Amino acid sequence: MDNFKEYFNLSIKNILNRRLRSWLTVLGIVVGVFLIISLLSLSEGLKSTINRQLQALGGEMVMVMPGGDEDIFASMMFGGAKLQQEDIEAIKKVKTVESVLGFSYTGTPARYRDESKQVAIAGYDPWKEGIDILSRFQGWSLTEGRWPSKGNEVLVGSYIANETFSKKISSGSEITIKGKKFEVMGILNSLGNKQDDSMVYMDMKIYQDLTGEKRGTASYAMVKLNEGVDDKKAADEIEEALRQTRKRRSGTDEEDFSVITSEKMGDIAGNILNIIQAVIIGFASIAIFVGGIGITNSMFTSVRERTREIGVMKAIGAKNSAILSIFLIESGIIGVLGGVGGVALGSILAKAIGYWGANNTSFHLETTITFGMIIFALCFSFLVGCLAGVFPARAAAKLKPVEALRRYE
Amino acid sequence: MNVEPVIKLEDVWKIYSLGKTEVSALRGLSLIIERGVFLVIMGSSGSGKSTLLNMVGCLDFPTRGKVFLQEKNILTLSESQLSQFRGKMIGFIFQEFNLLNHLNSLENVMLPMVFQKVPLEKRLEKAKELLARVGLENRIYHQPTELSGGERQRVAIARAFANDPEVVIADEPTGNLDSVNGRKIMEILSDFHKNQKKTVIVVTHDPEVAKFADKIVKIRDGQIVNS
Repeated sequence: MDNFKEYFNLSIKNILNRRLRSWLTVLGIVVGVFLIISLLSLSEGLKSTINRQLQALGGEMVMVMPGGDEDIFASMMFGGAKLQQEDIEAIKKVKTVESVLGFSYTGTPARYRDESKQVAIAGYDPWKEGIDILSRFQGWSLTEGRWPSKGNEVLVGSYIANETFSKKISSGSEITIKGKKFEVMGILNSLGNKQDDSMVYMDMKIYQDLTGEKRGTASYAMVKLNEGVDDKKAADEIEEALRQTRKRRSGTDEEDFSVITSEKMGDIAGNILNIIQAVIIGFASIAIFVGGIGITNSMFTSVRERTREIGVMKAIGAKNSAILSIFLIESGIIGVLGGVGGVALGSILAKAIGYWGANNTSFHLETTITFGMIIFALCFSFLVGCLAGVFPARAAAKLKPVEALRRYE
Repeated sequence: MNVEPVIKLEDVWKIYSLGKTEVSALRGLSLIIERGVFLVIMGSSGSGKSTLLNMVGCLDFPTRGKVFLQEKNILTLSESQLSQFRGKMIGFIFQEFNLLNHLNSLENVMLPMVFQKVPLEKRLEKAKELLARVGLENRIYHQPTELSGGERQRVAIARAFANDPEVVIADEPTGNLDSVNGRKIMEILSDFHKNQKKTVIVVTHDPEVAKFADKIVKIRDGQIVNS
């Protein structure tokens, strides 16, 4: 590819010569790259949000959930299995454990003034000491009111307080759940996700009275470890303790629970995000591939239109390789232009979403554009452009000068 | 006079197959073109003169027989080598001008030099000089579409001489021009022939054009009639 600069100039002139078609072809690539950049930046943002939250959780917390490792998500989504009271007692007895916070939640209608809406209620135990763990590790704080001290008092999440009912709930208001009246003691700050913000929190005992759930059970448990304890070792100890309770209870050593450290949680979230990213890249690649077919199509048309011109260039001394280069550079340029356009549009959208997310309390979204993503998108689109040009360029290079000159005479 | 041949055709046959029938466009034609001659090839359409031009211009390989350019048998060259060699040795002028429409006059004239990898400064200098010689010094940045037919053909002449070729081949150079412009084109060609001592080969059926010739070859049914 010596003479690159000259061929590059010729290619640019060719592209400008059929401006509309060139731009339309470029647009095909822009769409694909735009998809890749905007969606990847969203999932990258999600990843860093999750990592930050896990870091805040730190090494002092582990989660215990019913159900094996494989169906963690099934049990998180659909409830189902519960931790039994003796499980929780067993965890409490582990030396490295400082305290255990049992947590249960379910959906139920709630009435505020004359309006009835579906809400989620969550009970946790212990009611008062739990607040310490929740404020330290889940970022709980109050925007209004005070922490509850009595049994018939509840805390409400910010979304419930501000959005769910047509009238805003303030501290001191009364809401009715399953025929029982509760005083709203405090309004929580936004916890960063809608699910947590859409709950009414109450004492586990009251929760169980309301729902008829068995005393002492929990959907999952947050375990606070003693300071300076190795969380992996503690997790092993908790697992062992739970195994013992199961042996005693049913005589089997079936492991229908999982002990999750923050690291493990990060891995699980990371795995899911990796799958999501792979799917995104897959779909966007199809879009870029289709754009590539657009380039091939446009280039073939161009070769046909310029058959005579190719003949002339060959007659006046252009080697096959020169013709090949000119056409390949042309399709490569179209690819790169598409990449640049897609990166620009994708970045703008990502920034806009990030800006919107930062100013929106109920829908926390973050976007991250990495240098690697941009390089990947540009290289990929250039590659697609070049590959798309291979067949048309070879067709052009193989034209015989006599035939090319004779055509369309 | 030195009779060193610049192009030599030896018993050249060119056979085209059209479906099942074969058409012999050239039938054992031999021709020696001496350096520095102004040769006119005449023939009616279908006589094989275009095919002969393709052979003489090394644009195509013969079915049988040999073609020598500067004593080199072109059959021994690869397609790319031939392109390179042709670009250096032969300049072309076409009936339809065949300029590249998206390049201006200057760029069109420089193009053959690009393929010979002539450095930019030299290309510019040479192209400007050639355009001045054909009287287009004020038109160098014009696109072909902004030029008249006669002007376009003059750009094409400048392009043909860009690499200082040994041979310039013109295929009906006046065919798309009125008689005044056609005459002017022939005068420019003739002038280049005299001053540059180049071999000029013109294919035509126009007797006016034939008047400029040192030598006339007439072709009929793929064979030379008299020379």
